[in-house]
Amino acid sequence: MDAPWIAELRALLGPRGIVEDPTRLFPYEADGIVLLRRRPELVLLPRTTEQVSRALKILHRERVPVVARGAGTGLSGGATPVEGGVVVSLARMRDVLELDAVDRTARVQAGLVNIDLSLACSKHQLFYAPDPSSQQACTLGGNIAENSGGPHCFRYGNTTQHVLGLVIVLEDGTVLDLSEPRVDPLGYDLVGLFVGSEGMFGIATELVLKLLPKPATTETLLAIFESLDAACDATSDLIRARHEPSAIEILDKLTIQAVEASVYAAGYPKTAEAVLLLDIEGSEVEVANTVAGIEPLVRARGAIEVRTAKTELERKQLWAGRKGAFGAMGRIAPDLYVADVCVPRTKLRELVAHTTRIAREKNLKLATVFHAGDGNLHPNIAYDRRDADEVRRVLEAGDEIMHLCIEAGGSLSGEHGVGLEKMKAMEWLFTREDLATMCRVREAWDPDRRMNPGKLIPIRACLETKQAVFRPEHATGAAKARDER
Amino acid sequence: MSLADPKTLVEYTATLDCIHCGLCLRTCPTFQLTGNEASSPRGRIYLMRGVAEGQIAGDDPTYHDELEFCLVCRNCESVCPAGVRFGEMMEVARDRAANSVKRPWSEALARWIGFGLVLPNRALMRWSIDLLGFAQRSGLLRRVAPLFGARKDALLAFPAVPPKSERELLPIRTPARGEERGEVTVLEGCVMPEMFGRVNLATVETLSAIGFATRTCGSHACCGALHAHNGELDGARALAKNTIVAFEGLTSSDGVPLPVIVNSAGCGAHMKEYPRLLAEEPEWRARAQAFSKRVFDFSEFVAAHAPADWAPRVDPGTFGRVTYDDPCHLCHGQQIRKPPRELLKRVHGLQHVELPHSEQCCGSAGIYSMLRPSDSNAVFEPKLADLAETRADTLVTANPGCHMQWDMGLDRTGLDVRVVHLAEVLAEASRQARSTPTEPSKHEPAELATPRLHEPKAEVR
Ligand SMILES: Cc1cc2nc3c(=O)[nH]c(=O)nc-3n(C[C@H](O)[C@H](O)[C@H](O)COP(=O)(O)OP(=O)(O)OC[C@H]3O[C@@H](n4cnc5c(N)ncnc54)[C@H](O)[C@@H]3O)c2cc1C
Ligand code: SF4
Ligand code: SF4
Repeated sequence: MDAPWIAELRALLGPRGIVEDPTRLFPYEADGIVLLRRRPELVLLPRTTEQVSRALKILHRERVPVVARGAGTGLSGGATPVEGGVVVSLARMRDVLELDAVDRTARVQAGLVNIDLSLACSKHQLFYAPDPSSQQACTLGGNIAENSGGPHCFRYGNTTQHVLGLVIVLEDGTVLDLSEPRVDPLGYDLVGLFVGSEGMFGIATELVLKLLPKPATTETLLAIFESLDAACDATSDLIRARHEPSAIEILDKLTIQAVEASVYAAGYPKTAEAVLLLDIEGSEVEVANTVAGIEPLVRARGAIEVRTAKTELERKQLWAGRKGAFGAMGRIAPDLYVADVCVPRTKLRELVAHTTRIAREKNLKLATVFHAGDGNLHPNIAYDRRDADEVRRVLEAGDEIMHLCIEAGGSLSGEHGVGLEKMKAMEWLFTREDLATMCRVREAWDPDRRMNPGKLIPIRACLETKQAVFRPEHATGAAKARDER
Repeated sequence: MSLADPKTLVEYTATLDCIHCGLCLRTCPTFQLTGNEASSPRGRIYLMRGVAEGQIAGDDPTYHDELEFCLVCRNCESVCPAGVRFGEMMEVARDRAANSVKRPWSEALARWIGFGLVLPNRALMRWSIDLLGFAQRSGLLRRVAPLFGARKDALLAFPAVPPKSERELLPIRTPARGEERGEVTVLEGCVMPEMFGRVNLATVETLSAIGFATRTCGSHACCGALHAHNGELDGARALAKNTIVAFEGLTSSDGVPLPVIVNSAGCGAHMKEYPRLLAEEPEWRARAQAFSKRVFDFSEFVAAHAPADWAPRVDPGTFGRVTYDDPCHLCHGQQIRKPPRELLKRVHGLQHVELPHSEQCCGSAGIYSMLRPSDSNAVFEPKLADLAETRADTLVTANPGCHMQWDMGLDRTGLDVRVVHLAEVLAEASRQARSTPTEPSKHEPAELATPRLHEPKAEVR
């Protein structure tokens, strides 16, 4: 396509700031969930807030749908392109703009990769707390859009608790500067509202984030179990006893085996049914006391071995193994479906039993990792997207797991967002009124519903009269199959 | 374009290993430059899969450009939890791509001369480097360089050809100093003797200092690494077989094949992968396996075999502050990171500091710096800032391509840092340790072997 507005964008962004070649557009089809695919019309790679603003003005004038994209590691199709839409990628906006070690804040561009912020402030003995397992790749802007969590969010809270201010470009190109003052917001908390908006309220271009002092001591403890249930029970026990690790993670056997076969091999015993991985932070005395308190508890639940990392390197490896778990599953099958459900902690065991049963019934390979402290579990189902029947079974299993989770008083997503993938399930959890309210909030930010259209809120539920931009008949085969059910 | 099954154009099953997690994006040099998904490992694999599944034509020029833009630094392999064998996939994709497009005749000719004639042939290589040296000294190069279009600058920046005296081949055999603890062979390489004869000498000298006699492999010149990386798999296979045959003849007196010590990370990584390269030729499989088990990087071997009483030392003024830059094909290709650092730490009097982002590619990438000079420079650029931050006086590397890239880059910017191979540091430190022994040395000085003449003698073959 060669419309004048494209020429305008070209002039604005320069040759490396715009992707037009269909072959180069092809890999933008999907984010972390490759079941949902669509080639975008164009991809823009701006460098500054100013460029984003001017680009959005043009797209507003031309009524072109816009999908923001960070690193494309999202697992719910948030960054999947939409019909006739342009993708605005933040991948070239990755500068640390300011770092204030005394105020303990950082102002960064939204495309900065999560781990690069912690690396940048590490020399001041500071770190950025939310640590999604994808932190080597995902952008801070993406984290904000999804309100991402991570193992250590058990102690520190999800992304929303670490965002102090934002610069947002609205759908018509207006720049909304919510980055000053950095004290408690007066009036409506627009920053708080924006976090978790999945790219539908505008594009965040600059972020002011909270940094924390590194803990004086961190001890990493690995407990090895002969049963997954025992590991779940141990988690409840230690929380009941008011021991407060900063992270509580569980990996099951298949996950352990995949990790141990990868470059992130961490020394988890391959024969264990489950491992419980804990980080304990604080002063030396505090840490020593907590470790001493936890050990007998986990042993009482049948841990056959409990060990602490001897060196910083070993500690890092234990965590790198956990964080490589998703990718390591690539050794088991070409694709991975990551469910992301959340239940009250005490129901973990029950839900695990159900997911195992479902996987068995549907003849699927299931590997589960848990942010056990938060009651958030990721039943990971390995599959091959070329096998239509397997895809169908995977999606059915995903639905069943979500239903069970709702029954158990849980939520549809712990941290990965709704996107396209869980949109339909929103109706299972929310009433029409709930959804209509969400819809009205959304329209306050984006009256034309042009930002990331057709995601998060089911169209019917939203009583939308205007023509939806995303039409299921254009979706990929798999998504279509799902929609038909 | 041929009507071949598109699945044969790439390693289709290998592409399925990628689970699309994105963990490889941030460390990929070409993604860092562009932020473009298609120029990332995940994107390139997606494109390959697209070719195999018929969504992208095998002769699509953009696809080819993305294949060529890749440095094959294999950083993505070091971070990929799914164990994607990216280097291997790239070699195959480039090889098939080479067959599916017609290159301009000048390029085809240049490739034929380079890969087919010069690299594998010691005499032609020598003659070409003579010619280059002459052109550099006489100023002829300045005049003809514009004929090479976009490659003009790269050609002009090429490091000065060393004087003839430094372009010696190694002695056929060099004895160990003191008591002989074993015997090894050394790969002399194709470009090494011409541009880095001194590194080869230092390699042998270090091995000798730690008690190993070394032998060289006659006229054998090229292992085929550059061929494989640049989509000339047939040529690579032929050279691999030559190499295997040549080194099979090198055994100890009781018939045990000798270890093959390699001071070029790219060659070592490639030779360790011969079994895969020759996997489809059953009659070669076992031989390739046996051979690859004999291959050791210089640092790997020295770190493992240096005796406890080897105490290399330098006067602090010799190298000043040193820093080590990991060659991609050592850290990512062979997963060797510790041995070079351990060895530097072992040198008494040497001040070693870590180089930030030492595992990032320097942009040399075999012949990449010639093929895509401006991309190569762009990849190199941030390395300079990292180096400046260390305030090092000497940069240590372990691969000839990186060595030249650093030489050229430092020349361009006027930064006063000396570039040396790890072997040069260790040889010098062994030498200084001998001349200023802390305690009476147990080792007797060995007689220096007579250097071999350039024309390999018939009997060596
Ligand atoms: C291996 C792996 C492990 C993961 N582990 C975790 C985990 O532990 N915890 C967790 O919470 N998630 C996890 N995820 C999911 C994912 O990494 C997060 O959702 C992450 O925040 C997405 O960031 P991204 O930059 O990739 O965003 P993308 O996937 O590119 O986009 C995600 C959404 O954010 C929107 N968006 C992106 N940038 C902006 C912006 N600047 N302004 C407005 N909207 C924007 C997009 O439109 C889209 O809706 C994991 C994913 C993978 C592949
Ligand atoms: S890290 Fe490996 S599995 Fe993940 S996207 Fe990159 S190549 Fe694919
Ligand atoms: S080999 Fe290097 S340049 Fe090529 S995709 Fe991998 S990381 Fe990027």
